[in-house]
Amino acid sequence: MTTVSVSHFTFTYQHRDQPVLKDVNLTFPDGKISIIAGPSGTGKSTLLKSIAGLYPEFANGDYTGAITIGNQNIKQIPATDFSGLISMMFQNPNQQFTMTNVYDEIQFALENRQLDPAIIPERIDDALKFVNITKLKHRDLAALSGGEKQKVALAIIIAMDSDIILLDEPFASLDRQSRADLLHQLTRLRDQKQKTIILVDHDLSGYEKVVDTFFYLAPGQYQIKQLTPKEVAALLVPFDNAELKAVSFPLPNAGDAADLVLDHCELKQNDTTLLTANQFKFLNNKVTLITGENGIGKSTLFKALTRLFKYQGVITYQQKDIQKIKKKKYLSHVALVFQDAEMQFVNITVEEELALSMQNAVHNHYSKDEINAMLKALQIDGREKQVVYTLSEGQKKKLQIIEMLIMGTDILLMDEPFKGLDINSLATVVEMLRTASQKFGQTIIIISHQLSGLETLFDYHIQFKNRQLAYKEQLL
Amino acid sequence: MNAAIKLFMVIVIGVEISFIQSVPLNLCILAVSCCYLLIKRVSIKSLLYLIIYPIIPATGLLVSQLFYGIQGPIIGWVLFTRLFAYVWLGATFTMTTNIKDLAFTLEQNFRLPSKFAYGVLTAFNLVPRIITEVQTIRHASLMRGVTMQLWSPKLYFKAILAAINWSSDLSQAMISHGFVEDAPRTHVEKTTIRWSDFAIFAFWLILVQVPIFVF
Amino acid sequence: MSKRWSLRNIILIALIAIVCGVIFWLTSFIYNALTLILTPIGLAPAANDISLGLWIVAGPLAGAIFKMPGVAIFSEVAGAVVEMFLGDQWGVMNVVSGLIQGAGAELGFAVTGYKKYGHFQLLMGAIFTTLITFTWDWFKNGYSSYGAGLLIFLFIVRFISVWIFSDPIPMAINKLLKRSRAIA
Ligand SMILES: Nc1ncnc2c1ncn2[C@@H]1O[C@H](COP(=O)(O)OP(=O)(O)OP(=O)(O)O)[C@@H](O)[C@H]1O
Ligand SMILES: Nc1ncnc2c1ncn2[C@@H]1O[C@H](COP(=O)(O)OP(=O)(O)OP(=O)(O)O)[C@@H](O)[C@H]1O
Ligand SMILES: [Mg+2]
Ligand SMILES: [Mg+2]
Repeated sequence: MTTVSVSHFTFTYQHRDQPVLKDVNLTFPDGKISIIAGPSGTGKSTLLKSIAGLYPEFANGDYTGAITIGNQNIKQIPATDFSGLISMMFQNPNQQFTMTNVYDEIQFALENRQLDPAIIPERIDDALKFVNITKLKHRDLAALSGGEKQKVALAIIIAMDSDIILLDEPFASLDRQSRADLLHQLTRLRDQKQKTIILVDHDLSGYEKVVDTFFYLAPGQYQIKQLTPKEVAALLVPFDNAELKAVSFPLPNAGDAADLVLDHCELKQNDTTLLTANQFKFLNNKVTLITGENGIGKSTLFKALTRLFKYQGVITYQQKDIQKIKKKKYLSHVALVFQDAEMQFVNITVEEELALSMQNAVHNHYSKDEINAMLKALQIDGREKQVVYTLSEGQKKKLQIIEMLIMGTDILLMDEPFKGLDINSLATVVEMLRTASQKFGQTIIIISHQLSGLETLFDYHIQFKNRQLAYKEQLL
Repeated sequence: MNAAIKLFMVIVIGVEISFIQSVPLNLCILAVSCCYLLIKRVSIKSLLYLIIYPIIPATGLLVSQLFYGIQGPIIGWVLFTRLFAYVWLGATFTMTTNIKDLAFTLEQNFRLPSKFAYGVLTAFNLVPRIITEVQTIRHASLMRGVTMQLWSPKLYFKAILAAINWSSDLSQAMISHGFVEDAPRTHVEKTTIRWSDFAIFAFWLILVQVPIFVF
Repeated sequence: MSKRWSLRNIILIALIAIVCGVIFWLTSFIYNALTLILTPIGLAPAANDISLGLWIVAGPLAGAIFKMPGVAIFSEVAGAVVEMFLGDQWGVMNVVSGLIQGAGAELGFAVTGYKKYGHFQLLMGAIFTTLITFTWDWFKNGYSSYGAGLLIFLFIVRFISVWIFSDPIPMAINKLLKRSRAIA
């Protein structure tokens, strides 16, 4: 019996007067797929980590109430049995690797489970095949793209073969095809191996036919409740792809102004060429979307554009070679919102982060009141003194977006800025970006796998495919 | 050869040459180490690095003895060659063994609790990320209008802060991948200690004494 | 921060040592530049004495943060093993140096029976570290053949460097970390 029950669960972090979750009572049925949705910062990850037995030990906080598997309280389960029973994939895959390469990491996990060394290699191969990443088998973990990391993290969970699988936004960085494939694989785990799967996600597209039970974490109530079929249907409306198919974008004209231009530029990672571009323009004062498969080179392109990555050929900004502009000066024109939010932070608390941006803003587009309004609109107000690292993943993203908007650079590159944002926050961010582009004339270029809820944001669409960039009319 | 025994051997020899002032001894060690590295097919680039790297500090020691040494120039040459001997001797270990081998044997053959072996190994695996992190912190702060010099205390502090967060992440990662403190594990790569390891150890240790008596 | 050799603490102590090591490694050009400047006047060893503080900062820092026996020495040794694999001019002798330097800081805490981890203990640690490392250099780096004047000069320079990185700097970092609530 692997039914997971949570009863009278109340979790409180130190230095906060309100609990994140209050008197939660839930049952995740045996052998089914359950999903928990809800706004960011409401305690979904906190709950999953508590079920995985990592909290309260690794949290500055504690809970009351009980979590049981079958009829055994998890606190009574011996540590050596635990990993056979439950395994969890973290929200941020960067936090989940301890070895240097893919193979070693999986092997380490299997040795811990005291598997017979003779069967370990086969297990590893099977798991990699299951997630369709056999080609990553001997790759260094640090050299993987964001999406590749998530796939590896999932493969490890598969190899560990625990009865209960917890997945915290497992598909947030995956391209649409991989996402669809892996969603299908989850149903195989359930139907063929009777796994109990509990997952958290914001982007609900594709879940309709897969998930058995929907839970929703209602904001402000610190409570999680199971949804009725009618409520589920309402929840899924914004994730219907019909609208996406209908969207169409203009193609640029030859005369369109462009400050940022790739001029016979080539991106190489070791020996593989990621991109060749003879003459490619990023249009001024527009919001442009870049899409492309996992590992195609999108993040690398942004790193090249901000001089974090060495490329061949020339990139120009306002007709000047960017390598010839002083770095600090150049970066005050072209800034990057990193794929990993923690990379962005320079200070310790939320307050200090914001103050730094206000103090050094290139253009003062926003008044103090407007900034406070932005914080409030994204529900991260009242956290001035909180240490940035303790924010939930979604809250980190929000802070990151606000502080980089405040900088007011001419061009803002955003690497998956919508990852982990709930549907309402997404709408608010879309609004902010539209304002930045239309009112302040900022050029915004965005990499995103998620498309639902973004139809109105983009002016142009660039597809990254077959080592080429090309403007496209269609979204899908 | 077993990694831990090899490390111990290299350390013993290193300590010994620290106390013995003999240029021929240092040169012998240099030559033997060099041969060993060549047999092990260490890349030419690494060998060049081993030649260039010690030059500045070794010359510094030499010149200083020439200026201020009260026992004559010979001590200067002893120190000069000794530094090269250290580096080349060390390379026979570091360039042919990796920290994984060392951690594995300490865990499997020397009963070091696995939490120490894997704790340090995990931390070591983070080195490339720490280096990238330091670079990225500097880049990210430039985007926010702040220049962080390499000697700016804030950079260090930020790096340590990041490390503290990682330590929590890493231990959660290990536990989530089934690691349990003090619990038995299986091993795909089994490390062993053979009699031949001790024999090699004794052989080289005795051989090192030869130049001392010969010269 | 619980006073226990838990997995998390082991990783953290090792990481602190590594971060210090990586920073030292990144700044090793300063050491080399200093040596280059000082070589023509024969004072290259002073580069060693001036920069020694940077080498030993991990021990007192980890000791002051964790306040448990053995931490200072463990952090120095772990840091040294890592530095050895990163590769620098001391190669395998790093491990010996790590042991020796860690012992100095450790003794500083030991003299008061590991009951306190304040300025006095850090000062004692600085004194022990200076004495022990100086003795080691007596043999290893040929200090035995310098005249008394130069020796006294090097000794004083070394003590100042070691003290700065044993007391004020770890204390300041510790305070910042406390403020950031990164450590309880
Ligand atoms: N440091 C590195 N060394 C070697 N290869 C690397 C390194 N970093 C990334 N790569 C590889 O380069 C390719 C492009 O990576 P990049 O991060 O740009 O992909 P991406 O398009 O942003 O993917 P995702 O959508 O998954 O984030 C990937 O195949 C990745 O494995
Ligand atoms: N160490 C901490 N100290 C104080 N508050 C914390 C700490 N860790 C997390 N929190 C807060 O607890 C709340 C819940 O965090 P959690 O990560 O569980 O949210 P989440 O629902 O997973 O959000 P997201 O969808 O953004 O990932 C957040 O508001 C977060 O700021
Ligand atoms: Mg979360
Ligand atoms: Mg990417």
